[in-house]
Amino acid sequence: MNTKTAARKTLDRRLQERLLLDRRVDGDRLVLADAVLTAALDGSRPLTAGERAALQASPLTTRRLRQLAIERRARQAPASPVSGWRGSQGRLRAASSGEVDALRTDDGWFTLHLVPQGEGWRAILQLAADAPFAADLLAARAPLRVRDGAGRTILEGRLDADGECEAAWPFPSAPAAHLQAADAAFSVESI
Amino acid sequence: MRLPGTRYQEPGWEEVRKLLGQCSLAALRGVDPARLLDAAARDDLLADYVERTGERLRQARHGARAQAPGNSYGDTVLELALGLLYELQARPADWQAFCAAAASEQARIAGFWMEAGGDALLRKKLNDMYAVLRDKVDADNYQAACGRPCSPNRIYAYRMLDTAYGDIARLFADWEQHRDQVGAILGRELQGTPIEVRQLRTIADCRAEWVLRWSETLEAFGGGVGPLHTRSKRFANLKTAPDKIAAMLREIGDYEALSANQDRDWLQDRDDAALWMEDYWRVLQESEEGTTPGPDLILEAREDALGLDDVPEPQAEDDAPPPQDPRLDVLAAAVSLPPGYMQAAGEAEERTGWVARELGGDGLAVRLAVYAKLLGPGDESYPDAWRDPATGELPTMQQLAGLARVSLPTLRKRRDAAIARLEAATMRRTG
Repeated sequence: MNTKTAARKTLDRRLQERLLLDRRVDGDRLVLADAVLTAALDGSRPLTAGERAALQASPLTTRRLRQLAIERRARQAPASPVSGWRGSQGRLRAASSGEVDALRTDDGWFTLHLVPQGEGWRAILQLAADAPFAADLLAARAPLRVRDGAGRTILEGRLDADGECEAAWPFPSAPAAHLQAADAAFSVESI
Repeated sequence: MRLPGTRYQEPGWEEVRKLLGQCSLAALRGVDPARLLDAAARDDLLADYVERTGERLRQARHGARAQAPGNSYGDTVLELALGLLYELQARPADWQAFCAAAASEQARIAGFWMEAGGDALLRKKLNDMYAVLRDKVDADNYQAACGRPCSPNRIYAYRMLDTAYGDIARLFADWEQHRDQVGAILGRELQGTPIEVRQLRTIADCRAEWVLRWSETLEAFGGGVGPLHTRSKRFANLKTAPDKIAAMLREIGDYEALSANQDRDWLQDRDDAALWMEDYWRVLQESEEGTTPGPDLILEAREDALGLDDVPEPQAEDDAPPPQDPRLDVLAAAVSLPPGYMQAAGEAEERTGWVARELGGDGLAVRLAVYAKLLGPGDESYPDAWRDPATGELPTMQQLAGLARVSLPTLRKRRDAAIARLEAATMRRTG
């Protein structure tokens, strides 16, 4: 699947989501209990035709299904490789016109260095040695991923013995401009 | 006050209300009040109002008020105002009520909003409309977030209790100055420092009988009639049910503690936004294939069962790119878009995509209008070729109407018809 198709698929899905969730029905109410929705989600008891019709006719119940589906996915997501860390987020501070050379996560445990290299840039993720989970994370050699605020991957890899991992900057625009356009945010998570 | 899912219940609401009032008034200034009297024209007027007000909000987006935080979840005042405006669009009954209120004012004083003080009257009616709407929206948000039934009235009651707690906490903190009133709330004469004053740390510590006594004695201490003791029937049931009051106070407190400690998993939300749709289609699919025996476990029987017709998916369109038409450049220039805009925007479209397929018979301008209405003019997932380089966003409805060579109302009608078809397609799609 090329990137254009992938992007369009995302766009289609987001549009469908809006179509489903933006409907409003007068006097709408929750028509299916959480237990019924949960059983339908885990496949243990599919909805009857009547329940399916009720779900489709109730945007509010659809929203409840969405919430339960998201919570279910969150529970199923792989547990963190180390206790006490579930991921870190950071923001691009103050819209400066210049380039950025380093960004820290809000918790201070990771720094993303951005170093010019030839025509492009290099992204280097560095774990703070004093992070409470640093030793565990290094020992686990867990694969990590850094993403921008739009969810696109900036880099993926395992930390080396120095607590670093690096890759070429993957986007056409320079880091500051790219991140600014991507909600001025980035995140570090384990895969 | 924070509750699961709610967005419009914190002090930032005041600014949201003001921003909506200010932009609405500006938008309505160009409207002929006579249109309000014509019940048949109200739907068109709503579309017109939403578009004009949305435009004003976007013009105001860099202002201090628009950028101020509207709640503690990180939504700005502007985002909340836009959100509520688009809710209104989906709830024409609330707009009808506003029009009826304005029309009765108009019957009293023709052209009242042109008169001195008319703005204030109109603003009051707008405030009423949005005040009702925000509680409807948050009641729905609450139900979706936690699965418990909730009405707009219940949201209103939570807020009344939260305000009551705020006042009680204020009096307790300064109890020496308010000895008599604090005594009346506690229901005894004060001897030395009351221990309750030190025990009240959060709303969860607030006792139902304090709230009842606070409301009962409020008037005697110059605070007006207490909300639980007005003649209105609104809180009649609550007044006689201290256990319900206690449960609601505790719920507000518990959620406040929880939401204050929890990091907002905003990235998680974003990732999952698209993925849950797969769960949704799967649930429908498995239901169609499955043979779960009845009876239907539906919480509240609905009268009308929906017919579920299997409509075949229409054939995908031809993949060949459209031939370049020089007349398109003339059109683009006439609406201040770069030459080649239509060509490039058309090429950036995924022609095998679901939307392109469903709306294949509509022009590009209509499809872009659909995107703009549903996802907003500046969504990050739009291809660059769709954006007007002057604004970085999709062309305005006016520009799109120019490109399609139709009038603005015609484009709106086509757009809304296209959205209705997409909605129907989304409903019947099962995978």
